[in-house]
Amino acid sequence: MVELLILLMCGGILASGVLAVVLGNLMAAMVSAGLASLFAAASYVLLAAPDVAMAEAAIGSGLSTLIFLYTIRKTGGGGAADD
Amino acid sequence: MADIILKIAVVLIFFSIVFCVLRLVIGKTAVDRVVAIDLLTVVTISLVVLYAHISGRFVYVDVALVYGLLSFLAVLAIARFLERRP
Repeated sequence: MVELLILLMCGGILASGVLAVVLGNLMAAMVSAGLASLFAAASYVLLAAPDVAMAEAAIGSGLSTLIFLYTIRKTGGGGAADD
Repeated sequence: MADIILKIAVVLIFFSIVFCVLRLVIGKTAVDRVVAIDLLTVVTISLVVLYAHISGRFVYVDVALVYGLLSFLAVLAIARFLERRP
């Protein structure tokens, strides 16, 4: 049962990575990149590495999303509200 | 009895993750995607806590704690960004 969850997490990392490349909207691409980090943190927990998962959750999902958001606001990007 | 309840919880978390990713893929607006990733955060925290209970290693609860604090912050920043945008 845990193996099935690990496979789901790996598929989620793959899908959100492809989505972050394909999507034209900068905001949606940023959210998708955060999703890849979320799945990576969950799969690290399932693969018995809690300290790596904690660093991934702190840096990958929290800090990098904030930095991306700050950069998008500074450069005036963001694209349209919809796709 | 407790084993059955844990298995039901794992199956529910599985389908919840699948439907959240579907919402994120087909989401029309950015707000849909932000709400989907917020829901995915909650589901992931519950998954980590459930796995800590199943495997009996309670170090994993710290990961859920850190993740809950930080993802809340990121979603709050995205919401303020969406509010300020015309």
